[in-house]
Amino acid sequence: MLEIRDLRVSIEGREIIHIEHLDLQSGSRLGLVGESGSGKTMTVKAIAGLLPDGTKISGSVKFDGKDLLTLSDREFAKVRGNKIGFVFQDPARSLNPMMRIGKQVSEAIRIHSDLKGSAVTEKVIDLLGQVQLPDPASLLRRYPHQLSGGQQQRVMIAAAIAADPDLLIADEPTTALDVTVQEEILRLLISLSEKRNMSLLFVSHDLGVIRFVCDSVAVIYGGNIVESGLVEEVVTNPLHRYTSALLAANPGMPKDNNFSAFMGKRLQTITGSVPAVGKFPSGCRFRNRCQFVTDECSSVPPAVTTESDHQYLCWNPSSGGAS
Amino acid sequence: MTSLVEVSNMFFHYPRARVKGGEINWTLQDISLKIEAKSTVGIVGESGSGKSTLIRVMCALLHHQQGTVTFNGQDVSQFQGDKANELRRENQIVFQNPRRSLDPRMTIRRSLSEPIRALHDRNPDDAEIIANIERVGLGTEVLSRFPHQLSGGQLQRVGIARSLSVKPTILYADEPVSALDVSVQAQVLNLMMDLRDELGLTLVMVSHDLGVVSRMCEQIIVMRHGRIVEAGLTESVLSNPQSDYTAALLKAARAASLERESQG
Amino acid sequence: MTHEFETKSRAMPSSMETTQATPAQKNDRRLWSHLRRLPPTLYIGGGLVFLFVLVAFISFFWTPYPPNALNLQNRLAPPGTPGFFLGSDRLGRDMVTELMLGARNSLYVSVVSTIVAMSVGATIGLSIAGSKRSLQGPLTRLVDVGLALPGILTALVLAAKFGPGNTTATIAIITWQIPVAARVTIGPARQILALDYVEAAYSYGRKKSYVLKRHVLPNIGPLLIVLCSVMFAAAILIEAALAYLTVGVQPPTSSWGRLLNETQSLLEAAPYLMFFPGISIVLTALGFNLLGDGLRTVLDPQQSRSGLA
Repeated sequence: MLEIRDLRVSIEGREIIHIEHLDLQSGSRLGLVGESGSGKTMTVKAIAGLLPDGTKISGSVKFDGKDLLTLSDREFAKVRGNKIGFVFQDPARSLNPMMRIGKQVSEAIRIHSDLKGSAVTEKVIDLLGQVQLPDPASLLRRYPHQLSGGQQQRVMIAAAIAADPDLLIADEPTTALDVTVQEEILRLLISLSEKRNMSLLFVSHDLGVIRFVCDSVAVIYGGNIVESGLVEEVVTNPLHRYTSALLAANPGMPKDNNFSAFMGKRLQTITGSVPAVGKFPSGCRFRNRCQFVTDECSSVPPAVTTESDHQYLCWNPSSGGAS
Repeated sequence: MTSLVEVSNMFFHYPRARVKGGEINWTLQDISLKIEAKSTVGIVGESGSGKSTLIRVMCALLHHQQGTVTFNGQDVSQFQGDKANELRRENQIVFQNPRRSLDPRMTIRRSLSEPIRALHDRNPDDAEIIANIERVGLGTEVLSRFPHQLSGGQLQRVGIARSLSVKPTILYADEPVSALDVSVQAQVLNLMMDLRDELGLTLVMVSHDLGVVSRMCEQIIVMRHGRIVEAGLTESVLSNPQSDYTAALLKAARAASLERESQG
Repeated sequence: MTHEFETKSRAMPSSMETTQATPAQKNDRRLWSHLRRLPPTLYIGGGLVFLFVLVAFISFFWTPYPPNALNLQNRLAPPGTPGFFLGSDRLGRDMVTELMLGARNSLYVSVVSTIVAMSVGATIGLSIAGSKRSLQGPLTRLVDVGLALPGILTALVLAAKFGPGNTTATIAIITWQIPVAARVTIGPARQILALDYVEAAYSYGRKKSYVLKRHVLPNIGPLLIVLCSVMFAAAILIEAALAYLTVGVQPPTSSWGRLLNETQSLLEAAPYLMFFPGISIVLTALGFNLLGDGLRTVLDPQQSRSGLA
């Protein structure tokens, strides 16, 4: 239900994003994983129509058949919140500290529906219950600072699903939360997605989290999707060298309680660091940092798709297992 | 044999921390622990557990109200003047957010020189500075730059170099890699492990990431609401947690982590 | 826990990539585009202030007529009269000369009072910010009391005790402005003191006085510069007000405020006499205010580097 084709975003003449092909099925959950400077936030902004002035954008972002990039600002605003919901990283910053919880959620309802008066309040209580907040009625009059981080994020989610969107975009929604709270919020997102048949685009730097939540994953580096496919497939059998390097650098948790094997073991690192915008090498954007670079890599690698719908952009992919 | 750091029944509250009814809102309660020289200890817990406060009390940046904290057998609350300076030399901290722990108006060279200037009352010579910066894997060209010109990973290396410039015995690290990308995190963690082995450092690391602690710290302390819930060898505690809380932490950490072999 | 995985835009490439050498041409173009993006208030304010300082400066070397030269033949000449570009007053003194001398006086008083008030006030503010938590409240209230004191009354009292004059006026302005500088400094200073790099300084043995001097002060520098320009504007206005009330500078020394006083009775006969000193006061104070606003806009994005929210 979300189809991105040949999306290109340029700022000041420099192409920062180029996504040839990205699909999200209705009701499924796609993870977009990348580090700082990968372009993942820009991609989300491009889909949401929230790119800053002066950015050139081309290609197509088809949502439910309609190309979002052809919409005017007004039309886009209607889609946002209504068909597409957003949850951001730091709930403390996304919630208005001066406004009571009830009012903030009811705003989301009022903008996108004709409900008035007590019907709105009922819906707010219902939504707060759906995000598993205990005793929702008592929360209506509270201010954000009176809630914990996890509770604040649940409120954000409630506001985001108020208009029953078809797609929920979550950008690092649990990064600022404790690990136990994180698990709860992630489970909540999964259950909401399943119950409402709502697609989820989950953006994160953390492959472990994405594996937990999502069915499929797209790895973004230097504004390109370098690998995509089913999450289990990509994580156990990464093909692009960046993906396998990212997996190797992840501290992870020991399998089968084998803590003694973990202790003191160095992690495999990626040499160098992510280049600044516009300073990426020609051809394969990862080639300056890749251990397995070949001469071919100075030209742009082709997109290859395996039978299991596992796509990658690499001249010299890894074969079988993270290496 | 006395441990390097010993804490007995320590209680700490922030100034003016009182709840309704006049009762004190203790941030740390009844903390007792021992840190042996050259060991690596991880302190884990969630927000509000007091873990960051604990290391600050242990290196005497904050002063506890009850109980004792000793360094090399001596009570740290008695340290004054020169002795206090020596305590500072032996105990150094690496902070969580590299962008915030360096004065934005000071060059890297200046920031690196500050501990020696403060604790040894002299200016470090070029050779010293260069040795410091190269030891953390950075080149001398960063010395004339300002913090805003460096990446997060580079800044964290500078922070580590700064702490090590006075050759401390213990290095406390407060979530040293939490603010960094995964690949940069790996670089800094490897660096810390290498330096620890090379310099024979005692390392006390606060982290919320059990995966990181599993790799770096042979001992672990689990904290919750200002108390120590469980402590011991990382291997034992994590493979066989005695406390429900530790088990819950483990379960949540496992759920959202990549389970893997140690390499690859 | 906050995580900043998106802080990337300001980071330079890794040390493995060298910085490019820029040819002189590129530098010029960059400078020009940089200058173009500066706010207009900076230029307008800067221009007015520059004009003010220039006029005051020139007055030391040249005025159309010697100070206080009377031209009894040409009393109350309207502007445009040959030899009297802006007219002359009741005693035949040339307006241009008087304005220039008045500028000189205003400059002197405002410079001295601002420098002293800022130094003393900022020091007090820093000390309060660095004092014990329990003391900070009462001390800040004390500063608030100072702020609440009506400045004009203080000036009148001082004049009554020590006689009117430039010195009295300057002291009055200083007394008035010190609480302002102190109060403005306390907040930002406290914010900086709560930052990580201050804690780091303590961790390697720095004492609080060092931290205040070498970490807090440089990082609130831009703020203080902006405050200075605002205090200059205030000083100009207060000096004029005091001179108008005849408790400030005394004749024969010229001052815009005194000119206002002397010419107000002639408002019907020769309105231009009030106009010129009045407009001078307005433009100069406005200039400083605009300059302060422009500086704040320019320095603001950099403030986030020091850690102030």
